Amino acid sequence: MKYHITLLIELKDGILDPQGRAVEGVLQGLQFKAQNVRVGRVLEMEVEAGSEADASAMAHNIGKALANPVMEVFVVEAVKELA
Amino acid sequence: MKVAVIQFPGSNCDQDAVWALKLVGLEAELVWHTEKNLEGFQAAILPGGFSYGDYLRAGALAKFSPVMAEVRRLAQRGNPVVGICNGFQVLTEAGLLPGALLANTNLHFTCKDVYLRVERTDLPFTTGYQPGQVLKIPIAHGEGRYYSDAETLERLEQNRQVVFRYAPPPSSAEGEADGYNPNGSLNDIAGIVNEQGNVLGMMPHPERAVEGLLGYADGLPFFTSLKQALEAVGA
Repeated sequence: MKYHITLLIELKDGILDPQGRAVEGVLQGLQFKAQNVRVGRVLEMEVEAGSEADASAMAHNIGKALANPVMEVFVVEAVKELA
Repeated sequence: MKVAVIQFPGSNCDQDAVWALKLVGLEAELVWHTEKNLEGFQAAILPGGFSYGDYLRAGALAKFSPVMAEVRRLAQRGNPVVGICNGFQVLTEAGLLPGALLANTNLHFTCKDVYLRVERTDLPFTTGYQPGQVLKIPIAHGEGRYYSDAETLERLEQNRQVVFRYAPPPSSAEGEADGYNPNGSLNDIAGIVNEQGNVLGMMPHPERAVEGLLGYADGLPFFTSLKQALEAVGA
């Protein structure tokens, strides 16, 4: 079966995110009262797997391969079976 | 004495590295990143550039290139392995050096001359320098902010693994002492080695400072040191 995976990769808490800081400055300028803005990445992909549990395990392994544990964390945001 | 200069798709300082190696009389060969055998090479340089377009993260995709297994083998055997700029990012991503290189604090791609203090002169890359010598070497990067957790940083300092540190210019006439750290690196770190002292990563470009014609030659001893070290092993 085919599954759609959504993976988030974010900087760890406490690591200075200059990109987030720049976005925050712009938002403040637009009068949005946004604070602690962080910029991460979203990866979407389709995989073949025998079950949703297998697809989730695969998503986890892909996150481990692609995120750098020194500075990042990843979250498997969603695993959805495709019709 | 043959040195492999690894070419990833997007490397762009590979020819400069070959030039610098040949200038000091070393044999140098470009090796495409799909190569699975580095037999016959005594050392490897991972050059600067934008491997895989810096997609995902700088150096993040290059670590999966087939040649990296061989680079790892060279490193484990104690042969010299150097990562310059993007090559440094690849070495940290591959886990051959601790820590990571993050976006410069000011978010700018910074291309300018910086000053480096030499902290170690007992390495295969630095015997040609004087302890505490200050070098003028160019940088060109957007992600050069050295980062590691506090524990790793302490270990690096205790083991004297910091080889080059950003430093104020030797004479105040040459510029402001303030803001000499160009990217926000922890402890002003510009270059480090592994515990064994044979794998070195640095953000500045010694290969771009090897001839008076280029304006400065403070990078030349880096390559003459490497040549001496390789000859000493080969002898």
